[in-house]
Amino acid sequence: MASGAPPVKGGSAGGVPPQDDGRVGVTIDGRQVRVPKGTLVLDAAAGLGIHIPIYCSHPKMEPVAVCRMCLVTIEKFPKPQPACATYVSEGMVVSTGDADVVKLREGMLEFLLVNHPLDCPVCDRGGECDLQDFTFRYGPSISRFPITEKVHFNKALPLSEHIELDQERCILCWRCVRYYDEITGEKEIVLQQRGVQTLVGTFNEQPLQSRFQGNLPEVCPVGALTHREYRFVARPWELQRTAGVCPECSYGCNLNIDARDFEIKRFASRDNPLVEDMWLCDRGRYSVPRWNSTERVRRAALHPRHGEARDVATGEAIAQAATELRHVIEESGPASVGVIGSAANTNEELFLLERLARNVIGTANIDHQLSTFAGISAAEHELGIAEIEECDLIVVLGPEPENEAPVLTLRLFKAEHKRGRTVRRLRPDPHPAEVASLRGDAGFVGIIADESNRERAAQVAAHLAGRGTVKRLTVTRGVNGRGAKDLGLLPNVLPGYVAARPAGAGGADILEAAARGEIKALVLLGPSSALQAAGDVLVRAVSRAASVVVIDTVPSEVTAHATVLIPGHAIVEKIGSVTNLEGRVQRVRPALPPATQTPAETRVLTALAAELGAADWPGGDPVSVNRALRAALPAYAAAGNGGRALWRVQVPA
Amino acid sequence: MAEYRLLTKDFGTEGLQTLKGYERAGGYQALRTVFGKFTPASLVDEVKTSGLRGRGGAGFPTGTKWSFLPQGVMPRYLCCNADESEPGCFKDRYLMDNSPHQLIEGVLLGSYAVQSNISFIYIRGEYRDQRLLLERAVEEARAAGYIGKNILKSGFDCDIIVHGGAGAYICGEETALLDSLEGYRGQPRLKPPFPAVKGLYGKPTVVNNVETLSTLPHIVLRGGEWFKSIGVEGSTGTRVFCCSGHINRPGSYEMQLGTPIRELLDEECGGMLPGSELKAFQPGGGSMQVLLPQHVDLPLDMNAVQKAGSSLGAGAMVFMDQTACLVDYSMRLVDFYEHESCGKCVPCREGTYFQSQLMHKLESGLATAAELATLTDICSNMDGRCFCPLGDTATWFVMSAYKYFRDEFESHCGAGECPVKARTRAQAA
Amino acid sequence: MSLAAATRTEIKRARGRYPSARSAVLPALWAVQHELGEITPDAMTEVAALLDLTASEVEAVATFYSMYFLHPRGRHEVLVCTNVSCALRGADDIVAHLERTLGCPSGGTTADGEFTWASTVECLGACGGAPAMQLDHGFQENLTPARVDDILASARGAAPKQPERGAGAPRGR
Repeated sequence: MASGAPPVKGGSAGGVPPQDDGRVGVTIDGRQVRVPKGTLVLDAAAGLGIHIPIYCSHPKMEPVAVCRMCLVTIEKFPKPQPACATYVSEGMVVSTGDADVVKLREGMLEFLLVNHPLDCPVCDRGGECDLQDFTFRYGPSISRFPITEKVHFNKALPLSEHIELDQERCILCWRCVRYYDEITGEKEIVLQQRGVQTLVGTFNEQPLQSRFQGNLPEVCPVGALTHREYRFVARPWELQRTAGVCPECSYGCNLNIDARDFEIKRFASRDNPLVEDMWLCDRGRYSVPRWNSTERVRRAALHPRHGEARDVATGEAIAQAATELRHVIEESGPASVGVIGSAANTNEELFLLERLARNVIGTANIDHQLSTFAGISAAEHELGIAEIEECDLIVVLGPEPENEAPVLTLRLFKAEHKRGRTVRRLRPDPHPAEVASLRGDAGFVGIIADESNRERAAQVAAHLAGRGTVKRLTVTRGVNGRGAKDLGLLPNVLPGYVAARPAGAGGADILEAAARGEIKALVLLGPSSALQAAGDVLVRAVSRAASVVVIDTVPSEVTAHATVLIPGHAIVEKIGSVTNLEGRVQRVRPALPPATQTPAETRVLTALAAELGAADWPGGDPVSVNRALRAALPAYAAAGNGGRALWRVQVPA
Repeated sequence: MAEYRLLTKDFGTEGLQTLKGYERAGGYQALRTVFGKFTPASLVDEVKTSGLRGRGGAGFPTGTKWSFLPQGVMPRYLCCNADESEPGCFKDRYLMDNSPHQLIEGVLLGSYAVQSNISFIYIRGEYRDQRLLLERAVEEARAAGYIGKNILKSGFDCDIIVHGGAGAYICGEETALLDSLEGYRGQPRLKPPFPAVKGLYGKPTVVNNVETLSTLPHIVLRGGEWFKSIGVEGSTGTRVFCCSGHINRPGSYEMQLGTPIRELLDEECGGMLPGSELKAFQPGGGSMQVLLPQHVDLPLDMNAVQKAGSSLGAGAMVFMDQTACLVDYSMRLVDFYEHESCGKCVPCREGTYFQSQLMHKLESGLATAAELATLTDICSNMDGRCFCPLGDTATWFVMSAYKYFRDEFESHCGAGECPVKARTRAQAA
Repeated sequence: MSLAAATRTEIKRARGRYPSARSAVLPALWAVQHELGEITPDAMTEVAALLDLTASEVEAVATFYSMYFLHPRGRHEVLVCTNVSCALRGADDIVAHLERTLGCPSGGTTADGEFTWASTVECLGACGGAPAMQLDHGFQENLTPARVDDILASARGAAPKQPERGAGAPRGR
C-alpha cells in the first residue's frame, strides 16, 4: 500500500486487514473498557457497574433524551451529553461523577420537583419510585420552589377500569406515549398542550381500550400511572416476590408474583426477551383475584356410591383409589380405565400421570382435554417466539392465536414495525386466492395458528414449502398444553410425538364411554375446568363410572361425584415446570402456601402407583420427578430450565 | 458604506410584489441564467466562495451546509424557514411583504443547488397576510413557468409549497420545523442524525432562512467573488437589520456588513428619541446577550459582536433608553420563553417556569436577595443542559443583564416596586 | 359528518399537496377553524379519519399550537403584543386601555361576544410598528389608545375580514 493512502475499509485485496473487532475502547470514570460499536454510553457504564440515573430512557424503546437526567461530561464535547442517546466512540473519555455532573443532577431533580406534588406518603409508587430514589441519592437537600406556585392538574383521573392517571405526578418522560407508539401502536395516550402545561392523556378523555394497559404503571418511572386494583393496597417492601409464569395462557410470560399476607397483590413483569419481552396482557396480569379465591377443595374425602361420604386422611384416600382401580382392572380389564389430565398441570405431574396410565394401569385411554389431535407432529410446534422477528413473512390464521395469547400481538407488531417484517393476517379458513397470493421470495416463513386450525396451517405450510424455511407455531390451550402434548398426554402419541399403537380413546371419547358404562373407572387430574365443555356427558360419566378418582383444586360437579377426592394444589402454590407454546420449559414456584395440608400431586400419584404395584418410580418430590423426566426425555434434558424442548421434525418429502 | 442595497434596492417600486413588477426590476434573471452558468455542484461552490452565512441566527456558512447532503440520496428537500418569531425580529416579514418573488427565486436557486424537487416555505401562522401574498406569488410564478416541471426548459423540476404554522416559536428551530411540517407537534428532534442526512420525511434536507435565500439571486447574478468583496472577512455581503425600541425611525435597514452599529443607529434609525439616552441594546433578537453604549462602535460583523459576548443573531436591534428596566425587559423575555417552551425537556419546561415566577417577584420588588441568587443559579442549571437552544438561550439575556446591571437587579430586591419605573414616574411628575 | 363539504374538500386537497398525508394536519385544522371558529373533538375525529390518523394524534397537534382555538371565541380576535419592543413603546398602556374598554381581562370575551382579546408574550413580528396588535390576524401598528378605539369601532358589528381578501400591502420598512 502506498504510503499516505487512506486506510482501506473491509480489508480489500492486497490491503492490510484492519484491526477491527467491532469494538471500541472508552474510558468511564477513569476505567477503561472495550464495548461493541453502537453501544450507548449508558450501557457501557452499566457494564462497569456505574449507575447513571434515567427517567425517559427505556431498554425497549428508542432514546428521546428529554429528561436530561443522564447527562454526563465527555471530553471534547462543549456541553454535557445524554448517556442514553450518545453512542461510544473510540477514545471517548466520560465522566459520570465530576462536580459538573453532581451539580446538574441536583439541578435537574430540583426542576423535576418544581411542579411535582410531593405526595409520596399517599403514593402507591412510594418505595419503588425512581423520582424518590434518585432524589434521595442525587438530589438537592432543600426545595427552593414555593409550594404555593405549583401548576395544578387532575390528580386522580381514571383512564379505564384498570388505570388511574395522576397528571401532577407525571414528569413527562414520554414513556407511556412511546409505549403506545412503539410497542402497541395504538397511540391511545398522547402528549397534549405544551410547555409547563404539557400533560399526557387520551383523546377527549376517552377510556383506554388496549388489551395491554397493565404495562403502563410499569413503564411509568413515577406514581403518575397506577393500577386501580392495587391502589392503596400495599407498600412494595411488604411484598414477597416470587418469580413465576403467567398461568393464564400457553404463551408462558415470565412474571413476578407479589404476595402479602397469603394473598397475591399483583403480577409484575419479569423481562424475558425471548418470551414476553417484559410486556404482559391485561387478561393475565389482572387474573389475580382468581388465584386468591377461597373456594377450594381442602380435604381428602371418600364418596362411596353406596354409603356415607366422609373426610379421610390422604393415605386412606390413595389406598381406596388403588383398591377401586384394581377392582375395575381385574373385573373389566385395563382398557376400561380412562385417564384425563389437564393443561394446567406441571410437567412433573403429567409425566407421572402418563406413566401411571400406560405403564401401571395399562390403558391407552389417556388425554389432557376433550378435543383430539389427529396426525399431531412436532412440525406444528417448531417456530419460536423470538424467531418470529426473524421471519421475512409471518402468516397468522384468524384472530384466535392473538385472542388466545394476546402478547403474541406485541411480538408481531415488533416484527412488523421495528424489524420491517411482513405480517399477513388471514381468515382462519383462507380463500385459496389469499393463500396463492402468499407466493413470494420470502426466505423464512412463519405460520401461526390456533389448535382448531392446525390442519389449515399445515396446508398453508405445504403451499409455501420448498421456497425456503417454513416453520409453524401452534397456540396451544392452557398454561401447559404444550407440555401435555410433549409428554404424551394424548391417546395417539407417546412422549416425544412417537405414534401410540394402538391408539386409545381421547378425552371426549373417554367421557362418552364412561357415560355409556363402557369405561368403568376414571382418573381425573384437575383442574378439571376444561372438561366442563362436555356438559351433560361429563355429569353422566362421573355419575355412572364405578370409580372416579379425582385430584382437583376447586369444587365442581366432578369433585361432587368423585368416589375418591384428593385436594390439588393451585399452580401458584407448587413447584415444578411448565412448557410454553414454543416448547420453552420454565419453572414455577410456590408464591402462596398451599390451601390444603395434603401432599403435592406428584407425591399422591407416586403413592397411588406404589399401591398399584409399580416399582422403580422416582421419589415423589417434584425435584426427583423432574430428574426422572429429563432422564426419560432428552429434549427436556437439553432444554434445562428456560430453554426450548426441540423435537426432531419429519420433513415431508 | 451604507450605499449597498442588494435585497432591498427596489423596495418601494410600484408593483414589486407582482410577477410583472418583479420582472421589470430584473427579477428572475438569476433563475434564467443559473442553468447555463452553474451545475448544482458548482452553484454550491459559488455560494461557498461568496462566504454567505445563514441569516436566521446561527450564522452557519450556507454553501457548507448544502455540501453536507449525502451524495446520491434522493429525494431531497429544501425548506425555507419563514417562522420568524424571535423577539425583536421582523426583517423576514419586511422582505416577504416587499418582494415575495425575490424569496421564491431564491428558493428555486437553492432548490437547484441541492436538487430539491419539492421545496417548502414554512411561514409562521401570525404572518397570515404574508402567507397569502406568497401563495399568490407562487401561483403567478407557476403560471409563468418558473415553478413546476422542466423549469425554463432546464430539465429541472421544482414545486414550492407554502405551509402556514399555527403559533409556536419553537418551530423556528430547524428540526422542530420539520416535525411541524410533517404534521406532528413542533418539537425538536434528537441529533444526530442531522437534517442534512435525515430530515423531512427521513430524507436529506436543508433549512435556510428567508433572507439567506433572498440573497441567492444576487450571488448568482454577480458572482460569489463579488459578494465576498462586500462586507468584511467572515461576514460577507449585506444584512437586513430590523431596529426597534427608543429610536426615531424604527424599521428594517439593509447594511453592508462591517459598518459600525453607530451608523445604523444614528443615520438609519435617526438616533435615539428626543430626550433619550442609550442605556443598552440587544442585538440579534430575544435570545442574545445585552450590550452597552460603548458597543455601538462595534462593526456589524458576526465575529466581532460574538467576541463582545453577544451575537448578530437574526438581525434584530432593540435599543433601550434610560427609562428601560433591564429586569422588566428580562422578565418579558423569560415569559416569552416560558410560553414558547415546547415542554419536551425538563430544564427548559420547568426551568423557564421557575425563572418566570422569580422574575415577576423580582420585577415587582418582592424578591429577596436569596431569590435573586436562586434565579442566577437556575439559569446556570439550564444553560447547556437543554435539549435544544431554546432553553439555553432563555438564560442568556438575563445572565448578561445581571452581569452588566447587577446594581439594577439588586436594587429590586425588597424594594416593593420596580425602582426604575418609580424613578421614571418621579422624573415625569 | 359535521364538517361542511367545502371544508372536507379543502382538507382532501391539502392532503394531496404533500408527499405525506400527515403533513396536511395543520392546514386541515386551519380549515376547520375557519368553518367552525374553533376545533371541536368531533372535528378532530373527522380530520383524523380524512388523514388516516387517530383522533388522539390530531388532538396532540391541535393543543400544541397557540393559534388553534379549542373553545368558542368572540367574533373578532385581538392579540396585543407585550414583548420587549412593544413594551418599550407603551404596550402596557394599550393592554390597560383594552381591559378598560372591553371590560374583561386578557383571555376573556366581551359580554356582547364581539371580541376575544389577549395580551401575548409571543412577539408578533411588528417591532418596527410598536406597539402593535393583530385584529383577526391582520397587523395593526403604531397604536395609541385612540387608534385602538377606532380600530375596534370599525370592526364591531362587521364580519371578520376573510383571509382570502386580507392580503396585506407592504408596510413600513
